Amino acid sequence: MEAQLKNDLVNVFKSKLSSQMLLNLDTCSRCGLCTEACHAYASIPLVKYAPAYRAEVVRRIYKRSFTAQGKFAPVMGEAKEITDAALMELKEAAFSCTGCRRCMVYCPFGIDTQQIMSIAKLLLVAAQAEPETLSMLADMSVSKGENIDAFKEGFLSGIKRLEDQMIQTWRDEAGEDPIPTDVVGADLLYVALAGAHSIIPSARIFNAAGEKWSLSFFEAVNFGAFVGDPTKTKLILDRIVNEAKRLRVKEVCICECGTAVRVAKQLKGAPFKVVSLTEVHARYIRQGRIRLKKLPGSYTYHDPCQIARNGGVYDEPRYILSHLVNDFREMSPDPKYNWCCGGGGGLVAMGDETLDFRMQSAKVKADQVRGSGADVVVTACENCHTQLSDLNKHYGLGKEVRFLSSLVADALLPEPQEARG
Amino acid sequence: MSTMAFDKELDLRNLPCPMPVVKISKGIKEVAVGGVVKAVTTDPGALTDFPAWAKTSGNQILGTDEAGGEVSFFIKRMK
Ligand code: SF4
Ligand code: SF4
Repeated sequence: MEAQLKNDLVNVFKSKLSSQMLLNLDTCSRCGLCTEACHAYASIPLVKYAPAYRAEVVRRIYKRSFTAQGKFAPVMGEAKEITDAALMELKEAAFSCTGCRRCMVYCPFGIDTQQIMSIAKLLLVAAQAEPETLSMLADMSVSKGENIDAFKEGFLSGIKRLEDQMIQTWRDEAGEDPIPTDVVGADLLYVALAGAHSIIPSARIFNAAGEKWSLSFFEAVNFGAFVGDPTKTKLILDRIVNEAKRLRVKEVCICECGTAVRVAKQLKGAPFKVVSLTEVHARYIRQGRIRLKKLPGSYTYHDPCQIARNGGVYDEPRYILSHLVNDFREMSPDPKYNWCCGGGGGLVAMGDETLDFRMQSAKVKADQVRGSGADVVVTACENCHTQLSDLNKHYGLGKEVRFLSSLVADALLPEPQEARG
Repeated sequence: MSTMAFDKELDLRNLPCPMPVVKISKGIKEVAVGGVVKAVTTDPGALTDFPAWAKTSGNQILGTDEAGGEVSFFIKRMK
């Protein structure tokens, strides 16, 4: 590695050294309480998958570059220079961590390994050694924001096709404008994903609840966050912020995409509220704006880490499910200890290249799903849904994997005629 | 348009996000430079994702063909 790049990377590292990060880097007592908490280590007991070991890969570089002992007696403190080999180690550590923060729940000091991994990801981006697929996806999203007028027409013709499908299936809820876009003064901007499954059930529910809504031109998922590039993360998020401001909406509702929910909820000072689709559906039920019939079968719920552990949304999905099903079974007595599905952090988005690791590292999740005894596994995140479906196939679990929103749409009861007006 | 010649066909129907783009970005590398991939999609988002991906990756969409709720893209590998 050239001296200039090495120097640049040290400066990039320095830019991440907030007081919180210093606490994460300086505090670990190596007690090992986090070790078994990581699904990757619990499923593949190799030391490289232990949270404290992952963190140590970053910490060694920190010691070498920023602590006196590391600078002057590197061997004693196991300090390490940034080299090409060190970058490879950082890549393996960061992209085998889903950022689920289960380890943090067990750490007596609350050390945030996911935060430490954000240093590793940033160094990889600065060295242009990040996973190619993720940076390609992030570039595509940024480009859409820069050229929306060029892409709008294609998007609208795709939506028109969905509207035709909606009218055929649900004439009642379709209304005059089944999937509204670009509505200035709408109350709620819904930010979905590219697939019909992310748009049609939600549209049906918004219309049934009488919501004044508008569908965003942009997809919710933030590939910049997956790759760990703060500049692209912001550019991708800004597309939605600017659209929400232009339409003067009160609320931005993010679809069932965990990372998108987490990133958007971190926004500060925006003139609108950010909510997840699950929170909106719970509110509609509470306010009597939608009514649901009970569905047959037994159900369990997988908490997407970015929405539950990292976003605090535990009660709403359970509240919705209490209106949807009679037979609900928890996977873990306390949902904050629910295992990660093993698909987050960009692993699912990398597709087949990560499939083997995803299947092996999430064996504990597959066991947990099997142990629930439920017929249907419900979740509220695209990544989790894909990963759970892959696990279902790989381990022969014989479950049905469903999005919470699609169950709500299936269970909608028609409004009494007089209430429709 | 459906008669446009192509070297490889990719079935990208009903895939979860972001697989259509991931698979086209890998699939395009399986034809020689100048070769054409036909990608069949069902996602409304593909209609914005594919042009944006083509722009950033330097490939060229020669044309699209819409029929029965499906959109086929004919994409030429440029580099
Ligand atoms: S954040 Fe999750 S995946 Fe990463 S080290 Fe901790 S437990 Fe493991
Ligand atoms: S639980 Fe916390 S202090 Fe103990 S080894 Fe893990 S990160 Fe370090």
